[in-house]
Amino acid sequence: MLKIENLSKSYGEKKAVDGVSLHIKAGEICAFIGHNGAGKTTTLKACCGILAFEEGEIYIDGVSVRKNPLECKKKIAYIPDNPDLYAFMTGVQYLHFIGDVFEVPVKERKERIAKYAELFNLTADLGELIGAYSHGMKQKLALISALMHTPKLMIMDEPFVGLDPKASHQIKEIMRKMCEEGCAIFFSTHVLEVAEKLCDKVAIIQNGKLVKVGTMDEVKGDSSLETVFLSLEGNDAESAT
Amino acid sequence: MLKALLKKQFLETASFFFIGRKSGKKLSKLGVLGILLLLAYATGGVGFMMWELSKTLCAPLVQAGLSWVYFAFVATIATGLGVLGSVFATKSKVYEAKDNDFLLSLPLKPWAVLFSRVLPLYLMTLFFQSLVLLPAFAQYFILVGVQIPLLLCALVVLFALPLGALALCLLLGWLVALVTARIRSKNLLTLLFTTVFLVAYFLIIGKINEYLTFVILHGEAVGQTMKTSLFPLYLAGLACVGDGVGLLGFLAVFGGVFALSYFVLSKTFLRVVTVKRGAKKRVYREKAGKSSSVFFALFKRESTRIFKNLMLLLNGGIGVVLLLILCIVAPFNMELIRQINASPIPKDEVASILVSILCFIASSTVFTASSVSLEGETLWILRSSPVKTEQIFKAKTAFHLAIAFPPALVGAIELCALLKIPALTCLCILLTLFALCFLCAKFGLFVNLKFPNLHWTNEITAVKQSVSTLLATFFGWGASALFVGGWFLFGQGLGIRIYLLLCSLVFASFGVMLYLWERKKGKTVFENL
Repeated sequence: MLKIENLSKSYGEKKAVDGVSLHIKAGEICAFIGHNGAGKTTTLKACCGILAFEEGEIYIDGVSVRKNPLECKKKIAYIPDNPDLYAFMTGVQYLHFIGDVFEVPVKERKERIAKYAELFNLTADLGELIGAYSHGMKQKLALISALMHTPKLMIMDEPFVGLDPKASHQIKEIMRKMCEEGCAIFFSTHVLEVAEKLCDKVAIIQNGKLVKVGTMDEVKGDSSLETVFLSLEGNDAESAT
Repeated sequence: MLKALLKKQFLETASFFFIGRKSGKKLSKLGVLGILLLLAYATGGVGFMMWELSKTLCAPLVQAGLSWVYFAFVATIATGLGVLGSVFATKSKVYEAKDNDFLLSLPLKPWAVLFSRVLPLYLMTLFFQSLVLLPAFAQYFILVGVQIPLLLCALVVLFALPLGALALCLLLGWLVALVTARIRSKNLLTLLFTTVFLVAYFLIIGKINEYLTFVILHGEAVGQTMKTSLFPLYLAGLACVGDGVGLLGFLAVFGGVFALSYFVLSKTFLRVVTVKRGAKKRVYREKAGKSSSVFFALFKRESTRIFKNLMLLLNGGIGVVLLLILCIVAPFNMELIRQINASPIPKDEVASILVSILCFIASSTVFTASSVSLEGETLWILRSSPVKTEQIFKAKTAFHLAIAFPPALVGAIELCALLKIPALTCLCILLTLFALCFLCAKFGLFVNLKFPNLHWTNEITAVKQSVSTLLATFFGWGASALFVGGWFLFGQGLGIRIYLLLCSLVFASFGVMLYLWERKKGKTVFENL
């Protein structure tokens, strides 16, 4: 579903992402982990066509992001780490706007709004202006908007930040269910325990380069993901000195 | 403790002059100089206006033995300016200061926190009132000569008068904070205040000579009215002319009122600033929804943004507001219209003047000039959605035209009818106005793509403090000025209709050129923001 081939992206002199290659199949959940500034967000943004890149290629369901971004975006749902939504719209207005943009038929969008808003306990707040929402409520609304157009690939940057335990649990359930239905999920996180329990696959990025990628069992072996990650970070620190 | 609080408060005030709001970094020397020059210009402008006003009033009233009326009148203006200038600052700096919770969680006494907030406000009010009082005192001393006792009285009034305005600000600021916390549409209230202020300002400025003449001719009566209905300001008038009882009374009233309001507020400060007065929650009820095309969804998004924040409408669409006022006011000035219709001025000339006015006003609408900046941190939504950049530009342009052109259309038809301008000429006028609105929309988009500001904290700043808005406004006025210049240079020879068609063609051609730039380069600029 997502194929990244030799992706590189620089900001001036600094190479933020350097020759990253990764393949996520339909039905897989892949965690993307790395220290702050490692290149996670840059990679995620490049995948959903928000950020232009110099080298490499990204394919969504076989379609090139570089050549046909619009077609790719129809298959993707992206949720940034800090979802700034239109503060001047009410929750329901925003969902209808996304529904219009993704051309979701009215009947289906209404059903999905009702279903997911109820699930995330947001129904009563849908008439409020988004400007009055808390961070967690915005996160939930962004998730509902993402789920509304049944994407083939979900790209999420730190999806669990700011969510209450119940909502976090529900998202994990939904992620699993979506994968069972054939959707692929690629998300960044600092919560290694969640990644370990939830994901089929893991990719570890350090200073713009993928240092470890594979199934969860391949990457962590008999130890924990935290141990693997910290040992890689330690190696990096040693090589830097 | 108090010293540290005051230092923090003054640093916060000074940051306005020395720290960039967008970058959060220190401003360059040039930036600081620019702000200081702007401040000096505004101060000089108001000061000069007050100097001229005092000059008109001083001699006639002083020579009539009504010096106290002169000062009471001046003190009234100063109090009005002080309250107007400081009331919203009081609301934001005292009642809604972002660090109220933080400071009150520290081992600080509420009265000390309040004092650190009120002192800068006092200085601010003093500054505003000095703009009125200093020119007034200067005119008086030029006329009667400098006398030490009177100079001392003047100084006492100068420093004590702000206490009255400040007490009023503390009360009004509390009321404004209370009301704005309870109502859902805060912008509506701000718009109401702004409109009332603008209407009052234009009414007063329009009739200022009438008012001044009235005060000069009926000084005694004005004085008596002030004595009965504005007693504290009557005392201020007496204090300025060295009346001992008046001075004591003035100090007692102004000092007393301020001390009382400060005492009450310091006792209730904690409760007043921490109480939650949220508006009632709007209960969501599912409605029958209907789908829209992508273009219409984008168009609705643009209009929701502007109409949800009326200050955006007022700042970006001042031309719309002025055109609507023109449409309403025109039928009430039938005498002037009859005079124009009866005059020997050719209809071509009348039409050219009319188009010039309409062009200047219509081109003051600059919605597209901030439409890219207004995307701000939400730009990711469009960038990650399956929406073509051309569709986004089309929606922005269409919204601009949908708001900017209809008032121009109504205004033009109404005035053409009133001024008996032939229908065919009227049609040409409409064509010119539409072409100009189109050009302004396209130029606004062009200039905002060149100078976008996506990192604002308050969306109003993306419109008000924006290079693109400024450039778009000047561009619109420049295009209107070219219309006027062209008319005098060669337009009269062509006749109004041909000249209007020629202008429409020129405006539309430039608009199309900008559209072509937008499709090629503008698209890339937007996609790389």
